[in-house]
Amino acid sequence: MNMLEQSAKVNRVAETLEAMRCRLNSVLLGKTEAVDLVVACLLAKGHLLMDDLPGTGKTTLAKAIAACVGGNLSRVQCTPDLLPSDVTGFNLFNQKTREFEFHSGPVFSDVLLADELNRTTPRTQSALLEAMAERQVTIDAVPYKLSETFFVIATQNPIDSHGAYPLPEAQLDRFTIKLKIGYPDRASQIDILEAASRAEGSSEGMSAVLSLDELAQIQEQVRTITVHPRVREYMVDLVEATRENAAIQLGVSPRGMLLWQRMAQAWARLQDRNFVTPSDVLHVARPVLSVRLLTTNDDVDAVIDRLLDTVPAPEYQ
Amino acid sequence: MLIRPLERKTKEAIVLAVLAVTSVAALRFPVESKLLFLTEMSALATILLVVLAKDLGRCRALAGSLTRSITVAIPILFAIVARTTDSPIAFEMTILTTFGAAALALSTGGRRARAMSLVSSGFLTLFAVAISDSPHAVGYGIAWMTICVWHLIANHWERLELCSVEDVRRGSGIRRICVLLAIAICIGSGLLARSRFGESNRLTIGFMPTSGGSQWSDPAARSGIGSGDAAIAAKEHAESFGAVESNLILESTESTLFDMFSDSIGEPKKKMKWERRQAMSSENFLEAHGKTAKSEKGGSSFSTDRLPAKKHLHLKDATERAVIQWAGTSGIRLAMNRYDTFDGVDWTNQAKHRQDTLMRREIAGATWFCDGQRSLTPSTTDVNSLKVLRLNSARLPVPMMTSAIHIKDVDRQDFFGIEEDGSFFMPGREKVPQLTVVDVASSNVMEDQLWEELSANAAKHLVVKDNQLDACVSRWTAGMDHPYEKLQSIVSHLRHDFTFDRSTVVDLVKDPSTQKPNADGSFRTSNTPLERFLQTKRGGDHLFATTAALMARTIRLQSRLVTGFYVRPSSIDIAAGHTNVLPEDVHVWAEIRLDDGRWFEIEPTPGYQEPLYTPSAWLVAKQFAAAKWPHALGLLVFAGLLFATRLFWIELGLSAAYPVGSIVWPSGRMSLAMRVLQMRAKYAGCPRVAGRPQRDWLLAITATQDQLQETARRFCDAADRAAFAIDNNRFNDHTVSKELIMKLKIRVLRQMTTKATA
Repeated sequence: MNMLEQSAKVNRVAETLEAMRCRLNSVLLGKTEAVDLVVACLLAKGHLLMDDLPGTGKTTLAKAIAACVGGNLSRVQCTPDLLPSDVTGFNLFNQKTREFEFHSGPVFSDVLLADELNRTTPRTQSALLEAMAERQVTIDAVPYKLSETFFVIATQNPIDSHGAYPLPEAQLDRFTIKLKIGYPDRASQIDILEAASRAEGSSEGMSAVLSLDELAQIQEQVRTITVHPRVREYMVDLVEATRENAAIQLGVSPRGMLLWQRMAQAWARLQDRNFVTPSDVLHVARPVLSVRLLTTNDDVDAVIDRLLDTVPAPEYQ
Repeated sequence: MLIRPLERKTKEAIVLAVLAVTSVAALRFPVESKLLFLTEMSALATILLVVLAKDLGRCRALAGSLTRSITVAIPILFAIVARTTDSPIAFEMTILTTFGAAALALSTGGRRARAMSLVSSGFLTLFAVAISDSPHAVGYGIAWMTICVWHLIANHWERLELCSVEDVRRGSGIRRICVLLAIAICIGSGLLARSRFGESNRLTIGFMPTSGGSQWSDPAARSGIGSGDAAIAAKEHAESFGAVESNLILESTESTLFDMFSDSIGEPKKKMKWERRQAMSSENFLEAHGKTAKSEKGGSSFSTDRLPAKKHLHLKDATERAVIQWAGTSGIRLAMNRYDTFDGVDWTNQAKHRQDTLMRREIAGATWFCDGQRSLTPSTTDVNSLKVLRLNSARLPVPMMTSAIHIKDVDRQDFFGIEEDGSFFMPGREKVPQLTVVDVASSNVMEDQLWEELSANAAKHLVVKDNQLDACVSRWTAGMDHPYEKLQSIVSHLRHDFTFDRSTVVDLVKDPSTQKPNADGSFRTSNTPLERFLQTKRGGDHLFATTAALMARTIRLQSRLVTGFYVRPSSIDIAAGHTNVLPEDVHVWAEIRLDDGRWFEIEPTPGYQEPLYTPSAWLVAKQFAAAKWPHALGLLVFAGLLFATRLFWIELGLSAAYPVGSIVWPSGRMSLAMRVLQMRAKYAGCPRVAGRPQRDWLLAITATQDQLQETARRFCDAADRAAFAIDNNRFNDHTVSKELIMKLKIRVLRQMTTKATA
């Protein structure tokens, strides 16, 4: 592939990503920042945890993403009586054929929306573990491969924690970022009302912006985006700072660090750059850290802010 | 032909420069090591040929500047080599040759360089001719001037030829005959001046001090005025040098302080013979013994009534005659004897400071013997060393406020003591062994301490009542409060109104012209030398010191007379790193007591350096403010203004720093621009937190102004790429950073910050 083709391809990727962001922004009004992070998370091959109130557009976003990448969406409404097999699928003995038939669960999809994940039992939550990390499930000792672009969007309800099962740390560490969408601002809300009463329908019938293959390609591209040694050092500094901080019980694990780097690379890709800057690292730091830092007191954001301010960022040289 | 073709101008400049170097070489050739000299000259010639060679390779500019620096470095290099190989080249010759080498190096350069070359070769030639001993040297000067005149006129003609016809103003001026005339004048005036060059055939000290002065030696000194020859001779014949002389010479050169005073200031006037005889036994009538007695007496009292010093024919060799050698600050005084009681003519000592044993202390592996009353703090203590060569005394000449002494490997407390008068000595021996090296730790005093710790509290019986002195002192110290201020005034009056003259002792009784008659017409006879001193305002340093000490007593300060040596700054031997103290450097001065029991020196004699009491910055500021309060006020206002407009100055500095830095260091433009911006932001009150990447920070502070943010974003994109992308085509965009630097002034940043916070 010569230079021209390569640059043309890069340009097309940039256009595709831009189109995707546009689409998602038109679905989730007034939340460009959150949309960008979600797209980055998708490019980073990560999983997304949304810590949000009901009715802020989580499902809409998940659907729109599924539609954008031309994949299928499945949804699990997590309740205390949900069983692991309800998520992963199960073997059913077929009386006629006298054989076990595999009935795939909702994880066999491209985008999985697990609603109110903290309402279900740890057992079911753990069932998602393997699916998220390995992109495969094992049912009755038989491994089944999941979609290459398997993307989990889990939500949890911060209020009404009565009878909820907080997610175990191991599970939390498998999510790349945690997002808080929150309520849209006033102007956006007016737009939402306006859009709802418009003639054309919602995002249901939208055509795909990019194919799953293309997404996989971009995900592969993201993996190889350059990270300058000084930026790497900076990341290690940050990670070590989380481990040494007195206010933090559990710092960032090496896996968390890897996910963070991938996230930063994805962010750089979104900025149409082929190298990672300290700004990229820092930009994705809050969503990345808030999902996996276990603080002694409750205010995680304040701790993260203080931490990020103290570790000196690499300067121009 | 390897030499590249040269312009006429360049050729002439080279010839002139070569002429200049030759004129210096003519000075150097007869006196220096031929081998080294020829090597140096051929090195210079080689370099010149290399510069002129046709093919210097591709990087002509670099090679040119390189060879130029080598050319200038050669003489210095050879000077170093020569020093290490014991055939030294005099400093001034090295300087002159370096100058010539520079002229040579510049002569092959561009127009400006050539002009510089001309100036330096001209100076050098004329200088070399002026200092040369040979009357034929003037030939160089004539040759140089002739070529130079030709060069200048030829340049003028060349320029005329290049001008268009209408630009040339026709005049009767330039004719070939004029040139010849000018050259003829040069030659003629040179020949006229030729006979006068011989008159200045010696370098005098001060003009070119490295040639060797009258009191010290430089191994490379030529004939010189001073000890150059002698020093070299001493090196060749070891037994003629230093203290390793035959006993005969030792005896004759070793003298007591008293004898040195007799030699330099003059012998004390002898009392009438029979007075002395009364105390002597009959066998002591011999003249030789009389001298011994006098010498012994020399230690315990000091007479101010002296005969003029006898004229001596001294050998001008400092090293051989040095009494002691002092490695340390010059211009100070080394005290040996102190006297606190004055009877009108003689000083004697009544004080009881004797300490037979000194406190023993181990400091940094060395054993020091300390004066118990004084503390040794490293910050206020100077350590110097002195070498006793031929001093017939058990006392050690040490600076004032000496608190400890140390002799290597000497660890016996009974070797050192303090005499009754407070001077250090080595008890139980006749004299300090020759060649003893003594390390002396003395504390230095800040002027602040003198102001704080000096009070007029002398005991009543010590206060002198002398009408003449009183009158003088009250006249000099009118309107002054502080005793130190009064003391300073007395010293400065003595130093300025009186003349230092050891030789003249005027017998006033026979010389009525200098004395006013009394009311009854008779001349008042002045008996004491002091009175004579006050009237004639002329006398030796013993009179200055005595007067100062007595005057200090009239303002109720405790004072004492000190005799010893003055370390003359002109006798410093640079090569050896010490100062030779000669017998004629004996000196008398006074000391004043501080409240804490220490004594500090005053130097009332003109011609001797005053002791240096450094004032603290605070004291200087206070004194300045008190003395010149309008200036101080002005300075304060100025400082205030500076502080008020500091942002402007910082801005100015930073704005200037960027363009300069971006030229010097093009690859670091971006980071330099960023640093300038950060510095500005710091002063504007919106500094960057360390944890914030520069890009984020810059975009955040420019958030309120879209256009600026756009520029900032472009800048950051470029900077990020330059800093963090791993590719080869790093580029530093100059225009964006320049634009940003121009726009983001401190004022703008401040406005944006206030806007953002509001």
